Amino acid sequence: MKNFFCIVLLWTIATLTWAQTPATRVTVQGRVVDTASAPIPFSTVFLLNPKDSSMVSFGRANDNGAFTIRNVKQGTYLFKISSVGFFDHNQQLKTSDKTVEDLGTIKLKPITKELIEVVVKTAKAPLTIRGDTVEYNASSFKVPPGSTVEDLLRKLPGVQVDQDGSIRAQGQEVKKVLVDGKAFFGNDPKMATKNLQAQAITKVQVFNDKTEQAKLTGVEDGKKEKTLNLELKEEYKKGGFGKVTAGAGPASRVDGSDIPMRTEIKGNYNKFDAKQQFSIIGLGNNTNQTGLSWDDYQDFRGSNSFNWNDNADFGFSGSNRFIYFGNDDDETLGIPIGGSQGRGFTNNAAGGLNYNYDTKKTKLSTSYYYSQTQLSLNSQRNRRTLLENGGQFRTEEVTNQFNFSGNHRVSLRFEKQLDSTNTLVVLNNSRLNNGNANLFTRQDLYRNSVDISTRNTTNTGNTLQQFGSATSLIYRHKFKKKGRSFAASGTYQINTNDADRLLNARNEFLQATSANDVLRIINQEQGTVSQRSQYKASLLFVEPFAKKYFWETFYNFNLRYDEVDYDVFNVGDASRTRNDSLSRYYKNNYLFNRIGSSVRYSFKGMNISAGVAGQQFTLDGRFAADQTAATFNRINRSFTNVVPNISLNYDMKNNRYLFAGYDVGVQMPSSRDLQPIIDNSNPLYVREGNPDLLPQLGHNLNGGFSYFNPGSFTNLFFNLYGTYYVNQIVYSQTIDPQTLITTTRPENISGGRNLGSYIGFGFPLKKTKATLNLNTNFNFGRNLTRINDVLNETNNRNYNFRTRLELTPKDWLTFYANADWGIINTRYSLNTSQNQRIYNTNYNGDLNLKFPGDFYLNTSMNYRIFKNERLGFNQQVPIWNASAYKILGKAKKAEIRLTAFDLLNRNVIVSQYAGQNYVQDERTRTLARYFMLSFTYNMRGVQAKMRKNGYF
Amino acid sequence: MKLFIKLLCLCLIINVSALAQKTEGIVSYDRKSYWTKIIARLTFLSQEQKDRAAQTWKNEDEDKEKMKLLFTPTESVYTYLNDQGQTEDGNYSWRNRDLLLYRNYDKERKTEIEEMLGKTYIVDDSLRTPTWRILDQIKEVAGHICMKAETEDPIKKHKVTAWFAQDIPVSAGPERYSGLPGLILELDINGGDVIIEATKVEFKPVAAEIKLPKLKGKKITSADYDKMIQQHIAESITAHRNPYWAIRY
Repeated sequence: MKNFFCIVLLWTIATLTWAQTPATRVTVQGRVVDTASAPIPFSTVFLLNPKDSSMVSFGRANDNGAFTIRNVKQGTYLFKISSVGFFDHNQQLKTSDKTVEDLGTIKLKPITKELIEVVVKTAKAPLTIRGDTVEYNASSFKVPPGSTVEDLLRKLPGVQVDQDGSIRAQGQEVKKVLVDGKAFFGNDPKMATKNLQAQAITKVQVFNDKTEQAKLTGVEDGKKEKTLNLELKEEYKKGGFGKVTAGAGPASRVDGSDIPMRTEIKGNYNKFDAKQQFSIIGLGNNTNQTGLSWDDYQDFRGSNSFNWNDNADFGFSGSNRFIYFGNDDDETLGIPIGGSQGRGFTNNAAGGLNYNYDTKKTKLSTSYYYSQTQLSLNSQRNRRTLLENGGQFRTEEVTNQFNFSGNHRVSLRFEKQLDSTNTLVVLNNSRLNNGNANLFTRQDLYRNSVDISTRNTTNTGNTLQQFGSATSLIYRHKFKKKGRSFAASGTYQINTNDADRLLNARNEFLQATSANDVLRIINQEQGTVSQRSQYKASLLFVEPFAKKYFWETFYNFNLRYDEVDYDVFNVGDASRTRNDSLSRYYKNNYLFNRIGSSVRYSFKGMNISAGVAGQQFTLDGRFAADQTAATFNRINRSFTNVVPNISLNYDMKNNRYLFAGYDVGVQMPSSRDLQPIIDNSNPLYVREGNPDLLPQLGHNLNGGFSYFNPGSFTNLFFNLYGTYYVNQIVYSQTIDPQTLITTTRPENISGGRNLGSYIGFGFPLKKTKATLNLNTNFNFGRNLTRINDVLNETNNRNYNFRTRLELTPKDWLTFYANADWGIINTRYSLNTSQNQRIYNTNYNGDLNLKFPGDFYLNTSMNYRIFKNERLGFNQQVPIWNASAYKILGKAKKAEIRLTAFDLLNRNVIVSQYAGQNYVQDERTRTLARYFMLSFTYNMRGVQAKMRKNGYF
Repeated sequence: MKLFIKLLCLCLIINVSALAQKTEGIVSYDRKSYWTKIIARLTFLSQEQKDRAAQTWKNEDEDKEKMKLLFTPTESVYTYLNDQGQTEDGNYSWRNRDLLLYRNYDKERKTEIEEMLGKTYIVDDSLRTPTWRILDQIKEVAGHICMKAETEDPIKKHKVTAWFAQDIPVSAGPERYSGLPGLILELDINGGDVIIEATKVEFKPVAAEIKLPKLKGKKITSADYDKMIQQHIAESITAHRNPYWAIRY
């Protein structure tokens, strides 16, 4: 049909051309004058195609107003003259046989000054008339900011607004007001005009509409109602979207234990307009989805999902800009993201509200988020511990724990551009945590393969309440001179912890020489009240010089103040007695000052910087068994050093980048490592703090190269990195030869190092259909530990090789396969006969199929193999998942899905690890086979996930 | 008679100088790309993904480049305003991808140097101007009254709106657009996805500055260039990638 049409068209053109053969080219000429017959110079003349106004030829009048367009084909044109300050002249021009088409003198009418203002400034005619519709361009009629639509209507020619707000257009009363063609707030037309902001309106249309009666009955009654339609500006359009998923699966019985019914529910709703975003989210499940996914997080936080300039600790630009203050208190203040599969069996619930207000100058974001997790975890561990004399012992451990943790999180961010040179940011993140944990542990320690030498059973019950809050204020100032800037910040952080522990342990030392030493029972109440406050301030000044150079100077002040009161009571049958050897009260001041300066060169993608900083740490602390103690032990330490910093970034032609750097990372000891407290919650593995700890320094050297070819999608990445540690914080061990009780204590040891490299290469096997990625990395580590005062050197050599094949041959078929091979070689200087070689292998395949009728199938197989030949450890975990789903409805807004998780019922979490002086394997029971039927409704439509990643 | 000739000469000189002032110079443009709008054009993304990008990045979806156009009545060169890309405060710089678009309107020739898809290409071919539709609206851009014209990019299928100055009778324009009775001072590509707006028009002799640098790159014809772009877009869409990370919008 299309071809036929083309032939007809060609034939028509050919015929026409043939018919016109005798015609020659024509010259069009004339003269442009104003109403007073004075010539108008330099106006533009056009010959347009009358059908679509496309330009065929143009000319320009000379200073006399005369114009000539030569070499014009015979035909019909729209002839147009345009000159600033005059109305356009338009006429139809049909050339005759004459060679010169003289249009004579053409008069242009001037545009009044007022009108030209309107026409020119707005690029919009103030009103247009189409049939019976009169359309006004709202922006052509200026009203003061904050005016309502009613004020705007008063300005429109032909529209009157009475005292009571009723509207008349072209003399008739307006009966209906629509917004974007839809009725607004019922039938009263005044509601819309009095409530809507004039700024939100782009067009006002007045037309005659059928009566509601006629619309309802379909019978034309001939009556028309004056109707006003307000068209909203794009950015004022409000939107809302959301989705909800609910699913359930039957209860089952696995290995003789009942697994209850699986359920899952998740929903979110967002409402937004140009300035505001409001969102609400909620989730609950017992399918081990513990947190939000990145997509959920983005939907929840909206424009406040990511903020780049919020770090208040200024330092060297580039890598390792900051000092790390051991983030000891487990959970962070931010919303947990990455809804990965949890371990064990969890019950999760979470919900939150977020509100953002964004304008160019003011940005405000607030959120509240609550999350709770109930965890039941049963693990089995086998550990071999090496001793300094070439000996070793084996631990078999079983743990059952039941934890609950509930977190309230509040966040606030306020950014204000005070003027074009000053910006202020205020940030607050806070968290209140309530939790309890009950842990049962049984440990059997063997010196040889048969006889238990030590046995421990422990029950602990913990309750805790933690509060953490960080508030920062950042001020930035830009000077008139380009590139000169100043920034100052202040931060206050507080963390409090109120925890109680009931410890109930029974230790049997079966090889004890004296009968008195065989049984040791611990029955204690341990209470901790702690408070950590931190005051920080930073300054940064940047001065540009010699065009391509910048001189940056910064100063950091940081004072951390710890106060801990740890009270231990021995609980007897009838009484409680205070345990003075374990109870502690201490106060610590950790003061840090740093001043640094660097010079940076930046030109055409070459960015090099070199600098140096001097820093000083002062530790001033005191501790005793109790705050009422007569004498306190005092700690006074000071540590000063100078650290250099060099970085290079080179952006080369054709998407190639080169980078290298040297810096010194500083890690302050965590509160937990510093506190002079003996933690005996695992009586066979006692932890002690060390108040004398110094910060850990890591000399980091790194370099690399990357290349990406966007034409062929080939990419290459290579890097090499190394770290040398000074004063590395290492947990040294003392193992009692008699009881096998291990006591660990952090101390500073220098000489540990680490060297690694990553090489990745990806390329298409067949463009858009098949891609292969290969990558490998190695990591050589040397870790030092003191075991019973003997320095042990553990050398790790890890090698990984991974390959990934992506097949996307058809819209209805995608397949992803990957294979990972990992080898860990560990050598111990303490006992070379215990050198370990651990293999971790993982094969994965993922198939997606699309069938007619919006029906989809996804199935994946994951096969993990854990092997350690020396220990005879060999565990294979095949996980087979499948889901079938159908997208419902014409609008594709709903989905129904049947999921089968772990069809083979083999899921177990396995890990093997070779540490400083031990090798350990661990098996954790976790959620295995379950089935689930779920339903999703998404206001924005459901899209099948046939492809993995890489949308943008 | 002598007097008449003298007068005529004088007139001509005045005229020529007046014209020379108005037909030769430099235009500085701000080229703003709104990448969440561009993402919203990608057919393989769901509405949910588009909305998510728009909501998350609403405060920072504008990407600004500074460009310049040197023009005379017969020639023009369009390239970056500065020889390096840098942050607003100049604190960090990066390399600009090669881009230089030269046009000779008399000879109807063009020479284009453009780095894209991992290579620098040189297109040396005849200049073809698009078919413009002339519209009735006018507006002011950088102090000049401009008329509106529209066309469509036949390869990328973008709707392009140009605003050309009636008082600068030069056919030049930014990016690859030209052929209107006046200098193009604003371009709107595909309903605001990319907006190239003149910030300053300076009239001064620039003919001497318009010259081509040493041509280094792969030479291809205009037709091959179009084919390559077309193929890249088709392939990227099939592979679910944004084609405009690697080519100019």
